[in-house]
Amino acid sequence: MDIERLIEIISEDIPRRKTPIYRIVLSFITRDFKVWWTYKFWLLLDISGIILFVITYYLFSLITTAQQIYEAGYMTGGYFTFALIGIAFQQYVHFAVQSINESIREEQWNGTMETILSAAIDFKIFLLGEVCFSFIVSSALLLMSLLVGIILGAEFYATPSSILTAVILTILLIASHMDIGILSAGVIMKVKQGSPVTWAFSWLSQLVSGVFYPLKLLPWYLEWVGRAFPLTYSLDGIRLCLQSGKDLTHPTIISNIISLIIFIFIATPIALYIFKVGYDAARRDGSLGQY
Amino acid sequence: MRVEDLINLFREDRPRTSSDIRHVWAVFWANFKIFLSYRTWVIMETISTVASVAMYSFMGLQVDARRVALAGYGDVGWLPFALVGVATANYLWMCISRLSHSLQHEIREGTLESIITSLIKMRSYIIGQSIRGFLVSGYFMLGVFVVGVGILRVPLIINLETILSFIAIILLMVLSYAGISIMAAGLILVYKKGDPLTFLFASITEFLGGVLFPLKYLESFPVLYTLAWLMPYTYALDAARRILLNGATIFSHSVLMDVIVLLAYAAVFIPIGLRVFRWGINRIRYEGTVATY
Amino acid sequence: MEYAVETFDLTKVFESKEGGVKRIIKAVDHVNIKVRRGEFFGLLGPNGAGKTTLIKMLCTIILPTKGTAKVNGYDIIREPMKVRSCLGWFHGETGGRSLYWRLSAEDNLRFYAYLQNVPKDIAERRIEALLEFFGLTKDKKKLVKDYSTGMKVRVMLARALLHNPPILFMDEPTIGLDTISAVETRRLLKALNTELGKTIIFTSHNMFEVEQLCERIVMMKDGRVIADAPPSVLREMLRDVRAVEVEIRENGDLSRAIQALSSLSIVRRVVEVKSESLSAIVRLQVDDEYEAIPAIAGRLHNLGIKVSAIRRSEPTLEDIFVKLTREESA
Repeated sequence: MDIERLIEIISEDIPRRKTPIYRIVLSFITRDFKVWWTYKFWLLLDISGIILFVITYYLFSLITTAQQIYEAGYMTGGYFTFALIGIAFQQYVHFAVQSINESIREEQWNGTMETILSAAIDFKIFLLGEVCFSFIVSSALLLMSLLVGIILGAEFYATPSSILTAVILTILLIASHMDIGILSAGVIMKVKQGSPVTWAFSWLSQLVSGVFYPLKLLPWYLEWVGRAFPLTYSLDGIRLCLQSGKDLTHPTIISNIISLIIFIFIATPIALYIFKVGYDAARRDGSLGQY
Repeated sequence: MRVEDLINLFREDRPRTSSDIRHVWAVFWANFKIFLSYRTWVIMETISTVASVAMYSFMGLQVDARRVALAGYGDVGWLPFALVGVATANYLWMCISRLSHSLQHEIREGTLESIITSLIKMRSYIIGQSIRGFLVSGYFMLGVFVVGVGILRVPLIINLETILSFIAIILLMVLSYAGISIMAAGLILVYKKGDPLTFLFASITEFLGGVLFPLKYLESFPVLYTLAWLMPYTYALDAARRILLNGATIFSHSVLMDVIVLLAYAAVFIPIGLRVFRWGINRIRYEGTVATY
Repeated sequence: MEYAVETFDLTKVFESKEGGVKRIIKAVDHVNIKVRRGEFFGLLGPNGAGKTTLIKMLCTIILPTKGTAKVNGYDIIREPMKVRSCLGWFHGETGGRSLYWRLSAEDNLRFYAYLQNVPKDIAERRIEALLEFFGLTKDKKKLVKDYSTGMKVRVMLARALLHNPPILFMDEPTIGLDTISAVETRRLLKALNTELGKTIIFTSHNMFEVEQLCERIVMMKDGRVIADAPPSVLREMLRDVRAVEVEIRENGDLSRAIQALSSLSIVRRVVEVKSESLSAIVRLQVDDEYEAIPAIAGRLHNLGIKVSAIRRSEPTLEDIFVKLTREESA
C-alpha cells in the first residue's frame, strides 16, 4: 500500500459519536477472554486445583462431627456441605480479586496499559471491563466446584425463594469484592508488586470469615475481626439459604444483607479514590508501562 | 583510578584452582542474599504461616478424635496429626519448587548465560540452590512448630532423639524428591514453563499423602489409595508422624521400612534427574535459548 | 602457530515454527576465521549478520549445528570447561540484564569471582579497582535494580574483566555507555591488548571505533564472512567512494525524491534512507560530489521537492557493506 492511499484512509473522518459504555466494556471482556483462552494449560490447572481442594475437604469431613454445624443453625448436609459452600465462595472471590490484580500487572508489564489509557477511555470503564471478565470466569469455576461437591454427595435443603435469596447474596458478595479488587489494583499501580492488600485479605478472610468452621469456634476477638469482612455475612446468609431453606423473611438474612449493603456504600468511594490515587501516582512517576 | 593502575593490577595473577565447594557456597550465598532482599514477601509469608496454623487449630475443634485413631498412631488428637502433615507438606513444596523457580528466573534475566560461561559445574549449581531451599523452607517449618507447640501447646514428643530422627527424615524426603525436582528443572529449561506443573504436583501430593485425614479413608477409592502409596511423601509423612506422635526414632522397626523406601526413590530418581537436566542444558545451548530477555 | 581463535566451517542453523510453518535461519554459515594471539580483532556487520551467535558459540553458550572451533587451542564442543577458563564475555545488547538485579554491584562481581575461581584476596583488590575505574564506588552497595542502564553495562564490563582471561569477547561494549565512559573503555581495552597481550574480539556498529582499535576486521553479512582485512585496506576500498547526503524536508516527498535521484546519471546508487518523524535523509554514492550537488539540487527543485540540506559526506560502514555486497553478487 502506498502512503497516499494510507493517508486517505486515515484522514477519512467519520463523525465520532460516543461509543456506548456497554460496547466498550464488552470489547474488554472479549479481548481478555481471547487472551485467557490462549492459556488453556492454566485453565486446566485452576480446574484441577479446585477439584482436588473439594475432594480433600470431602475426605476431611469423614472424620468430623456435624455437631457444631447444626448448633450454628445450618441444618442439612453436615460438615461437607458447610465446607463446600465456604470453599466455593471463598475461592470465587479470591480468584476474582486475584485476576483483577494480575490483569493490571500484566498490562503494566506488557506496556499495553499506556496504549489503552491513551485511547481516551475513562479509567472507570476500563476497570469495569477488567472486573466483569474476571467475575465471569470465576463464576464458571464456582459452578464447577459446586457440581463436584454434589457428585461427592453434598446435600442441600433449599426452596425456590431461598435459592433466589442466595443469588441476591452472591450478587452483593461480588459487588463488595469488586471494591476490594479495585482497591488493591490501585495499590499495585503505585507499588508495582503483588498487592499485599489481596494477600492479607485472602488469608485473613480464610481465618476469620468462617470458611472452614462456624464462627462460634473462634475466640471473641477474632470473631469480632470477622465482622469487618463481607465474606462472613455472605457465607452465613448463603449457608442459611442452601442448608436450612431460609429466605428473605429470616431476620438473620435480612441483617446480613443490610450489613453487605452498608459495606458496599462505605467501600466503593474509598476504593475508587485509592485507585485514582494509585493511577495518578503511576502517571506522575511516568511508570505506567514500567515493571 | 587510571587505566595504567588497573593494568598493573591485572599483571598480578595466580593460577586459579577449581573448587566445587566454593562454587556451591557462592550459589548459596548469592541466592540467600537475593531471598533476603524480598523483605515484604518474607514477612507476609511468615504471617500467613502463623495464620494457617491458627486456622487448623480451629478446624480441629470439629473433628471426632475417635476417627483419627484409625490412622494407627494411637490415641492422638487431630491437631498434632495435621500439624506434622502441614509442616512437612509445605516444606516439601517450597523445597522442590525452588530450583525450577530460580532457573526460570535466570533464563528470563539472562544470568544463566553468564553462569554457563563461568567455570561452575551444573551439579554445584543445583546443590547450592538446594541448600538455600532447604534452609529457607526450614525457617517456615520452624515457624509452624513454634506456633503449634509453643503457643497452641500441641502435644508432640520432642526430645533430642526425635528431633534428630525428624531432621533425618526431612533430609531423606527431600532427597527422594530431588530427582523429580531436578528433572522438572531440566524440562523447564527447555519448555520455559512448567511452574504450574510443580504446583499441580504439590497439590496432588498434599491431597493423596493424607495431610489432613487418615489414609484409611482413601481405601474405598482403590486407585487413589494405590497412588498414595506410590508417592515417597506418604512414607516420609508416616515416618515423621511415628517419630513426633509416637516417639519412634529412625531406627525403630516401623520407621526403618519408610527409610528404605525413601532411599530407594532417591537412588533411582537422582541419576535420572541429573541426566534429564544435562539433556536440558545441552538442548537449550543447541536451540540458542539460554536467555529469553 | 597456535591461534587464539580458529573456526572450522562453523555453522549455526536455527529452526523456528511460526504459525505451523517451519522457518530455517542460517545465523552463521560456514565461517572460517583465524585470530592470532594478542590480536585486536574486529567483527563488523549489520544487525542479524550473525556476529552475536558466532561469539556465543565461541563462548560455549550455544552449540554449533555443524563445524567446530578452537579457543586458546581447546575445542568448544569437546572441552567447554577449558574454553571457559580462558575467556571473558560481554554482551552489550542485553541492556543491563544478565546481572542479578537484587544484588549489589559488589556482590554481583564477588559471586562471579567465586564462579571463576579467582583467589579471594586478588578478587577483592580487583573488584575495588574495577568499581573505581568505572565510577561505581559510591553506589557499590546499592542493588543493581536501582542502577541506570549505563551503570549496569559498566558492572557487566567489570565482570568480563574480573578473572583476567587471556581472550576477551566484547560484543558491542560501548553500546549503552555515555561518551566519556565509552572513551575510557576503549582506552582500557587498547591497554589490555598492548600491555598485557590479551586477544580481543570486538564487535561494533561504530566505524570510527573499529578503525581506531582493531588491527584486522572481518565483515559478516547473513551469516557469512564477506571481507577480511586490516582497517587500512577497508579505508582504501572506500577511497573511491564519494558520498552525498540529501535531507528532504518533508517525509511525504521521500518516494518521489528517491525515484528522481536514482534516475540521475551521476548518482551510482542509493545507499541508505533514514526516515525521521518529519524529514528524511537519503544517502547516495556518486561519481563526483562536486558535480552531483548542483545536479541534485536542480532536479529536486524542478520537481517542487523541498530540500533542507545537501552535503558531502565521509564514507561510512554502510558504504563498505553496499560496495562489498554489490561486488559479491556481481
